[in-house]
Amino acid sequence: MTRYRPRGPGTRRDFFSRIGDGLHGAALAYLLQQDLLASTKSDQPAPRFDLKPRSPHFEPKAQSVIHLFMNGGPSQVDLFDPKPTLDRMAGAAAPRDLLNQIENMDQVGTLMPSPYEFSRHGKCGMELSELLPHTGKVVDDITMIRSMYGEHFNHEPSINLFHTGRLISGRPTLGAWVTYALGTENNNLPGYVVLDDKNLPVNGIQNWQSGWLPPVFQGTRFREKHPAVLNLSPKQELPNPLVEAERSLLSSLDQAHRRDRPWQPDLDARISSYELAARMQLAASDALDLSQESEATKEMYGLNNEVTASYGRRCLMARRLIERGVRFVQIFIEYQIWDNHSNLKKNLEYCCGKTDQPSAALVQDLKQRGLLENTLVIWGGEFGRMPISQVRAGAEVGRDHGPDGFSMWMAGGGVKAGYIHGATDDIGHKAVQDRVSVHDFHATFLHQMGLDHRKLVYHRHGLEERLTDQYPARVIEEILA
Amino acid sequence: MWSRFCFKILFFSALQTTLLATELASPDFEKDVRPILEKNCLQCHGASAPQAQLDLRTSESLLAGGKSGSALVPGASSKSLLVSKVISGSMPPGEGRLSDEEISLIRLWIDRQGTQTRLVSVTEKDVLPIFQMHCVNCHGKSKQEGGLDLTTQASRLTGGDSGPVLIPGKPGKSLLYARVLAREMPPLDEIRPPTTAEVETLRHWIEAGAPADSPSGAQVQEPALSQEDRDFWSFCPPQRPEVPNVRQQDLVRNPIDAFLLRQLEAKDLSFSPEAEPHVLLRRAYLDLTGMPPTPAETQAYLEDQRAPAYEDLIDRLLNSSHYGERWAQYWLDLAGYTDSEGIVDEDKVRPHAWRYRDYVIRALNSDTPYDRFLTEQLAGDELVDYKKEEKVTQDLIDILAATGFLRLTTDGTYAQPNRSLQDKMDVIADEMQVLGSSVMGLTVGCARCHDHKYDPLTQREYYSLSAIFQTALDPYDWRPPTERVLYRALESEVKAVESHNAPLKTQLQKLEAELEKEALPFKEKFLKEALASLPKDVREDLKAVTATPKDKRTGLQRYLSRKFKDVVDPSYAVLGDRFPEFKKSAAEPQKSIEHIRNVKYGSETNFKDKTKLLLKPGIRALYDMGGEPSPTYLLKRGQAQSVGERVYPSVPAVLNRSGLKPYRPVKVSGRDTSGNRLGFARWLTQPNHPLTSRVKVNRIWAHHFGRTLVTSPGNFGRTGSKPSHPQLLDWLATEFVARGWSLKAMHRLIMTSTAFRQTSEVGQRSREGDPENLLLSRMPLRRLDAEALHDSVLQVTGRLDTTPFGIPVAVEEKPSGEVVAEATEKGWRRAVYLLKRRRMPVSALEAFDYPVMMPNCDERRQSTVVVQALQLMNSELMRSHASYLAGRLMDRAPGDTEKQVEDLYLRVLTRYPRIDEKQRILASLDILSEEWKAHLEQKNEAGPRGPTAQWSALSSVALTLLNSAEFLYID
Repeated sequence: MTRYRPRGPGTRRDFFSRIGDGLHGAALAYLLQQDLLASTKSDQPAPRFDLKPRSPHFEPKAQSVIHLFMNGGPSQVDLFDPKPTLDRMAGAAAPRDLLNQIENMDQVGTLMPSPYEFSRHGKCGMELSELLPHTGKVVDDITMIRSMYGEHFNHEPSINLFHTGRLISGRPTLGAWVTYALGTENNNLPGYVVLDDKNLPVNGIQNWQSGWLPPVFQGTRFREKHPAVLNLSPKQELPNPLVEAERSLLSSLDQAHRRDRPWQPDLDARISSYELAARMQLAASDALDLSQESEATKEMYGLNNEVTASYGRRCLMARRLIERGVRFVQIFIEYQIWDNHSNLKKNLEYCCGKTDQPSAALVQDLKQRGLLENTLVIWGGEFGRMPISQVRAGAEVGRDHGPDGFSMWMAGGGVKAGYIHGATDDIGHKAVQDRVSVHDFHATFLHQMGLDHRKLVYHRHGLEERLTDQYPARVIEEILA
Repeated sequence: MWSRFCFKILFFSALQTTLLATELASPDFEKDVRPILEKNCLQCHGASAPQAQLDLRTSESLLAGGKSGSALVPGASSKSLLVSKVISGSMPPGEGRLSDEEISLIRLWIDRQGTQTRLVSVTEKDVLPIFQMHCVNCHGKSKQEGGLDLTTQASRLTGGDSGPVLIPGKPGKSLLYARVLAREMPPLDEIRPPTTAEVETLRHWIEAGAPADSPSGAQVQEPALSQEDRDFWSFCPPQRPEVPNVRQQDLVRNPIDAFLLRQLEAKDLSFSPEAEPHVLLRRAYLDLTGMPPTPAETQAYLEDQRAPAYEDLIDRLLNSSHYGERWAQYWLDLAGYTDSEGIVDEDKVRPHAWRYRDYVIRALNSDTPYDRFLTEQLAGDELVDYKKEEKVTQDLIDILAATGFLRLTTDGTYAQPNRSLQDKMDVIADEMQVLGSSVMGLTVGCARCHDHKYDPLTQREYYSLSAIFQTALDPYDWRPPTERVLYRALESEVKAVESHNAPLKTQLQKLEAELEKEALPFKEKFLKEALASLPKDVREDLKAVTATPKDKRTGLQRYLSRKFKDVVDPSYAVLGDRFPEFKKSAAEPQKSIEHIRNVKYGSETNFKDKTKLLLKPGIRALYDMGGEPSPTYLLKRGQAQSVGERVYPSVPAVLNRSGLKPYRPVKVSGRDTSGNRLGFARWLTQPNHPLTSRVKVNRIWAHHFGRTLVTSPGNFGRTGSKPSHPQLLDWLATEFVARGWSLKAMHRLIMTSTAFRQTSEVGQRSREGDPENLLLSRMPLRRLDAEALHDSVLQVTGRLDTTPFGIPVAVEEKPSGEVVAEATEKGWRRAVYLLKRRRMPVSALEAFDYPVMMPNCDERRQSTVVVQALQLMNSELMRSHASYLAGRLMDRAPGDTEKQVEDLYLRVLTRYPRIDEKQRILASLDILSEEWKAHLEQKNEAGPRGPTAQWSALSSVALTLLNSAEFLYID
């Protein structure tokens, strides 16, 4: 498909010559939609990269995505994937092939059943752990995949794999690919927003970088603490007329500079980026202003409860952002709270307490506003956990990393509602039925956005780079509505 | 229910030593399974007329099954009837039930059935990866624990201290197999055990007589190259072209102009007029030093009327020490320079990497010939006899630090060095990619998993190239990055560190002793409690362990002390969690200890604080580890466990052409190095090497003209771009070699050309005839890159600390989330000296396209994004720099606003303001001054509002100029 190739120079020159013709209003509006004009060094048509909305390869099911990333690896057998067999085999030694993948070899325990009761929910009767009462209320809107599998037993590579398709760091993330392909619907806000916790997650800012895609496609971090956006305004608050006076001086200097240098498109792009900066101050403040929400909504997301407030706020912000046309919103949790190597009970209850209600509220809220149809919500971590215990002296037992089989769920955006896909073996260690690789997940995710993972390419050093790279990947047709 | 599980779990893990010894990883039907069935089942299912026609006496009869079908599905216990019956408890009938251990044993036996069907011939190649992944770290080249070396067939047959370990044909009698089977080896608390399938393979191999692969002495012949491959332009040595005759000879200052003009004239075009002197001045300064001139330098140059003033300027700038700082960054991008290891989230700082950065700066400043520059970086350790050298000089340090070139990719293998062979392979592969893209202009990485799809480069050739480096980067004899340090330093430096550290170490010992004393009663209490929760047998064993001094413990005791290390020797953190009173009393001394130890970001990284320990000076180097290197194998699909044929050091055949001396190791007698890398450096830096000089001049060109002649600078292969000016490229390449590989000579040549002196203004003809400026009919407008912008802001605001070299400047994250460099006493250092931690890029650099090194960056992208505007306009540091500048302007010309504005322009934009500009600025100053005054009044500021408002207004103007396009772009 040539549509996604960078456009030729003719278009660009034509456009800027129109400015010269005095078509200022229309031209400016066009300019405002874009954030960047790459200056390139190429003997091929100069590629141009911006955030203008672009059409997908085919009719998309989802316009935007909210990715609730559960860093650390939530335990499938304690949350989503009941294993009665484990109860019967409690205390049995771990199979050798499981040991072959253990991270902490010196803390190997034995097969350990979940301490939690599972019960059926909704019309579909999906079984969930007692730790997830709120998720239980939205099971009829979600697809549960119980047969995910990864490629590595460590967090960092697995997180890379999940966000970029490879174990190594430095490649573009899902959000970067999607904004590269589709741009954004709101020209006053970034296309790819990351809602970040008090502290950075594992892998830090690498989680939303654009790799070798141009930086215009990287995630913009909206932080939980003040200031929400780095340098959105000066630290010392200045009155508007003063800020305006500075801006107008700069604008007059730059306009004069540009007048002396016709035919330099980079300069126009730069001027527009300053204008966007000014508009973003207003747009971002508005999007993040939760006081505009009703009490009922705040209550629903758990904003009035200390335990749920932080995650709830970000779930609500996510909804407000996608309402405003932001393409991709990702919510991270600090460090990796789901990494429950020890004290499984205490920690898992903390994690679920923090996220269960807000995540479910997000699905409900999107649905009642008619947004769920067009929004793909994804809930999951980089891997799951082992069905055996991990034993650390001085601490209650926990579970070690389990990349060979884990669960995640999706809602809206054209996936089936109230559906369970795939299964792990009877101890919950390894995905055995309808296995879904991370690459399959990526292909499916792109497919819902109207993109073919084989056609979404970026030309780099004469090679065609793809999110799914050279891996076999298939769209999981079974989970599509 | 929960506590019962907990107990059970603890119990089982406590007994794991005994359990694992008897637990049957490879259960045998007769020996293991049948007794269970006998006890529980054969009463009904064993007679000649068994219940439900199911006979459970033999494995065959189990498979044959009864009325309900087969009792087992080989390889799938979960689908086996036998298992589901005993698990559900429906069998055996009545009260009796199989124990969990019995069930899991039966399951294991069934699960293993599937893998036993494989009886195809197993050879050494199949078991090699098992040894490599699970054994050779302790039984290999540098370590032979128990006197055992498992790297070669001969050494395997010889065995170790316990006698022979491999008895061909008899797995049961082979210690090697027996210990793996019993899960005694590899030590389970350190290394993952082999999979069931791997254990099976091992058994089949021994059963088959442990056949060794015949060693093939010679490299397998590669298929002949096609003529088309051989003739591809970049694989043929550059030929010196004739300098063309052009019409406009008056525009030809040197042959560069002639080559460019020939193409321009063909389109009836010419060069654009020469740029104005102040424009040329700024361009030259920024190109060579990365910063604009000072007002005094500007004034002096603009007044210099001598004819060669410009040429003199270039010479002067080439001799500036700032030249090396500017141009080092381009090379550091190619090398992938960072000060942290990456991979692991901790992102451990590399405390010694900066010596490589300093080496590069020094080498460039002294114009080290490029062939020498490469040789030092590829094989510096083989150029000198550093082990024998008694006196350590700066030259020796530099030549060893130079080898840091191939030590810069991400390397997380320090975290758990024994864990993953693949991780080590990945480090090596990344280094090969750095080598290929930076120096050779080849995407060699493409041939790691399969033959190169486009270039004549086979997978075998990839691993042969990699084999050259195996004497230093040996995946089977791996050193984690933290251990690859050469402790060679100037005597003065060593002494300074020692005398600094001596009192601190005494203090540290005292603090630690006090803390340990404090902890002792808590430790005893903890042990008592912990033991009480353990089964009796274990309790007695552990008591014995703690009663025995560390060096007198038996093997089992050592194992137990490792296994129960938190009980035997709990950390202060564990103790603190249990005893809050200890946590409280230990907090203060722990804080002091941590302060002195000075471990930050995972490393001892002292940034000059006198109250902290200084790091022992060392060099992050790549060096030959001596002895015979481990063999190198082709890895199928690039996977460590898919070992293919053995390969030997060599270079790609397409580059091994007639006229070029072939690659061969340069071995120096009396030294324990292979000479492989030195041989490679000699091969690579031959004058007529097809790639080396071309790749380099292409990059030099790019940094002067903002575009490359070959637009894929890291890829000169088939999928790369063809040169826009092939003859010019070859002329430059041959000229470069002819001038002794001198970089400075090339800068001088390029910068004194007419082409370089053109204006960047886009004239009508130039625009119409050369719209994309492919022919260089004008100078392109270029934006300052991240470092040049950073340094220029500091330079023009008077806040630059020009101190060169040394340990990196620490960076910190502000509460706002902004990552900034720490200030020094004199201001801020140049960007090249800031700590480059992968997880914490300096915000100001990151916003302006400072790259992610993956593994390196062979070409930076330039973007115009909104964060740049926010960063320059609103960041605390930018506003503070602007205020500082405004303050100095007012100091220099108190009360003379006009003079202040002139000075501002001269500093920031390298020119005086025009009259209309001056007037506009003065008018703005009035408005801003009023606004500031109103603001100060509203805030009820204490200070003098009039002068403060004037200062603030001038700060606003200074900030505006620092944000202006004219400052940000080079005309």
